[in-house]
Amino acid sequence: MTKDKRFGRRHLLKTVAAGSTAAIAGCTLSPSGGGTDTPDGSENGTDGGDGGDGSGGVPGEIPEIGAFRGSGTIVEGRPAPGGTPIRDLPDLSGSLDVYIGGGEGGIYTQFMDMLEEFYSDFSVSSNAAPSSSHAQTIVEEAQAGETRADVFWSIDASSLGYVADEGAYEPLSDEAIEQVPSRFTGGDNAWAGVAGRARAVPYNTNELSEDDIPNSVMEFPETDGLQPMGWAPTYGAFKSFVTAMRLIEGDDATRSWLESMKSAGTERFPNEFVISSQVADGALYSGFANHYYAMRVKNQRDDPPIDLAFTEGDAGALVNIAGALKVQGTGKGDLVDTFVRHLLSSEAQEFFATRSFAYPMIPDVQPVGGLPTIDELSPPDIDLSELSNLGPTLELMQEAGVSG
Amino acid sequence: MSGGERGPSSVERQSQLWRRLVGDDGPVGTSLTLLAALLALALVAPLAWLAVEAADLGWEAVDMTTQQATVEVLVRSVALVAVVTGASIVLGVGMAVLTVQGDIPFRRFWTVLCALPLAMPSYLGAFAAISAFGPRGALSHVLDPVGLSMPTIYGFGGAALVLTLYTYPYVFLTTRASLLSLDASLVEAARTLDCSRWEAFRRVTLPQILPGVAAGALLVALYTLADFGTPNFMRVQVFTQFIYARYTGFMRPYAVLLSLQLVAVTAVILAVESRIGADEEGAYESRGNRGAVELGLGRWRYPALLLPAGVFLAAIVLPVWIFVLWLTQGGPGYQTGGLAFSWSYAENSVKVALMAAGASILVALPVALRSAASDSRLARFADRLTYVGYAVPGIVLGIALIRFSLEVVPAVYKTLPLLVFAYVVRFVPQAVGSMRTSTQQVDGRLTEASRVLGRSRLGTFRSVTLPLIAPGVATGAALVFLTTMKELPATLLLRPTGFGHTLVTYIWRVREAGLYGKAAVPALVLVVVSALSMAVILAGGER
Repeated sequence: MTKDKRFGRRHLLKTVAAGSTAAIAGCTLSPSGGGTDTPDGSENGTDGGDGGDGSGGVPGEIPEIGAFRGSGTIVEGRPAPGGTPIRDLPDLSGSLDVYIGGGEGGIYTQFMDMLEEFYSDFSVSSNAAPSSSHAQTIVEEAQAGETRADVFWSIDASSLGYVADEGAYEPLSDEAIEQVPSRFTGGDNAWAGVAGRARAVPYNTNELSEDDIPNSVMEFPETDGLQPMGWAPTYGAFKSFVTAMRLIEGDDATRSWLESMKSAGTERFPNEFVISSQVADGALYSGFANHYYAMRVKNQRDDPPIDLAFTEGDAGALVNIAGALKVQGTGKGDLVDTFVRHLLSSEAQEFFATRSFAYPMIPDVQPVGGLPTIDELSPPDIDLSELSNLGPTLELMQEAGVSG
Repeated sequence: MSGGERGPSSVERQSQLWRRLVGDDGPVGTSLTLLAALLALALVAPLAWLAVEAADLGWEAVDMTTQQATVEVLVRSVALVAVVTGASIVLGVGMAVLTVQGDIPFRRFWTVLCALPLAMPSYLGAFAAISAFGPRGALSHVLDPVGLSMPTIYGFGGAALVLTLYTYPYVFLTTRASLLSLDASLVEAARTLDCSRWEAFRRVTLPQILPGVAAGALLVALYTLADFGTPNFMRVQVFTQFIYARYTGFMRPYAVLLSLQLVAVTAVILAVESRIGADEEGAYESRGNRGAVELGLGRWRYPALLLPAGVFLAAIVLPVWIFVLWLTQGGPGYQTGGLAFSWSYAENSVKVALMAAGASILVALPVALRSAASDSRLARFADRLTYVGYAVPGIVLGIALIRFSLEVVPAVYKTLPLLVFAYVVRFVPQAVGSMRTSTQQVDGRLTEASRVLGRSRLGTFRSVTLPLIAPGVATGAALVFLTTMKELPATLLLRPTGFGHTLVTYIWRVREAGLYGKAAVPALVLVVVSALSMAVILAGGER
């Protein structure tokens, strides 16, 4: 663990070439990063202390793009990102309470730590819990008039949709979300996507070619040669995928799809990283997973035999998002808008794209590793907020013997 | 004898009823009983919000309850509880007798070894078991070349195995406390009276330790019912997983309804246990602790140690080995810079666990004392009532407390006191159980003698009762401390903003983030802190 950190530091220091004084300054002068003023070890305070070395920046100075970029084979040689750089945005000043959904490799927390270092009078207190749990807490707090968060940073559109439906939000400014395609924003500016993830079919390139994967997810049960396949029915993204299928194809078709896939021998796994690893190992020929898990495997191994196929216009091509929402009654509306603009800056989008392999939410930043751009994908035409209607999905999965 | 002589007046009848309810213990005893009942009520009051919410469902509730899926989950949950509890009793009582009475070398060492699995969160154990035994796991690399294949660890059997490995210490600890308080002279007397060793165990020891065994078994049963991580990892669909999936699926009312069903199952288990636990007919009372019984094992002395050694290997060494593998090889998952571990997380864990243990002892003391000493129904009811919280999954309690605090006492919402309160609700029965058990074994004549000799009530408590029940208090405090260290769902929901991580929320965070390697250090710290506390407390329990 300590080793990881040291490696990360050295690597970044090399990249940024910020010099030793800058690193020390980042460690000691940062208002929340010192550790002494937050002895209770709040998430931001403590991580900030470590992140101080990571970004290697002097407070108030925004480092070059290299500091934001991840490392590894599939990240090298990228063009400079377009979009709005942080230096063109208004400064962040004040403090924000952020309810953040778990997951995503912790890089969102890391990015907030970096923001704290750039702006000496900006601090973030983040509280991590499952997104759907935060969503319900936010609605309860709003109803009781006891709001505790300014920003809800969910890793899932359905949780944002839930809060929006319950009216526990305040609209984001047009300026804050103007660069995001409308497909990835909530109605009434309720929320804005900051990072995307596509449903995909990882396949083993020794066993299958891209032509073997059908363009329609509904054809999978009848297609020979895909098995052994893996899926992770307890994983939220899989449930969203089934919900999307339900909304597009109807309940009966979805139920029989699940039943056929199950009787074809599709194996259950606890998560989709395991599925992607096993596809690369050859233990599975293909599977259902979010796109970034295969990218992680690729970035970790030396040219593993794994690639991604995407279906077209159906649930198999669903693009879900992590996004931010302004919580009702925050009282810091302008700061939240500026914060969201930072999450959609060139640097942030490059950061998310190269470290968690997320789909950028602004068209001027490219996805990593030869992934099709977000325009080249053909996601289904559904309202992402509707994905919060999980109840019937769970019943249906239950009936099909694929409990979630 | 005429009816007129026997028939009490209405005033007398009322006072009789009152006596049966609160007992006939004089004003001090009665007020203690009332205090115990009030404390117990306060603990479960927030759960009433569950009932309020379920009532909103109306008739839909009946439909939901009788759905086939719901019934299947119920049956599976109950079966898992039965298997794990049975296996834990066999393992726990066996090991307690071995380590307390057996003439084994390094007794304290083996005692700590037997209790240690409690220090490991069962979900970490399950996680490690899958990493080791699962398809392409660490152990299959060892076995594959030899041509052996691993039986599947997933499913009901795997979940039952893992849960037993990590919950039998409950039976072990409570049985051990009973065995330590057991008067050796009683067993000696039985042996002198020509009872065989087995007969002496059955007729003297067993009735004495039965309440202890039952208290431990109850904790095992309720833990199994409320555990989420292990069945989830092992892919067994039980109540908790069903509830969690519905809560995260924005089906709160259904989740709440299922939680109420879970509480109902708890009530049944409690009723069963109270029949065993309360049945003290034939139990010989102890006249104080006169040294432990020695059990000569002869040539079985060393082979018998294979059992705790094997359990220790599977429950502790294997996961630790897996964590060390993750630590040295990075573990599955991918590497990023963020989410660095901080020692303050360990401090947070220890801080809340100490607070929860302290508060639990204070709450448990009147409840356990009255339950053991008084024959009033109210006292026993208070005792039983505290157990409800233990079977309520952390997430359900978290939901109920958020709702309760926001609507009734917003001032405590997301504060440390509320978090500690949640821990007390969840874990106080562990303290109640072990303290009641040791109190029951205190011979009433000792305290009477002390009172006759002029000691005050408080003085008697301090100089007679307390030293005798000290092992029970220590065990109870240890159990609350340990389980609080391991608690996740309620902590996630209720920890104050800005409080930061505890060891377990940090493990959750990095696991969610896919950074398994980073879970290694906190997991090891968790085990070491828990093990240390356990060693200290076990040592204190021995005389």
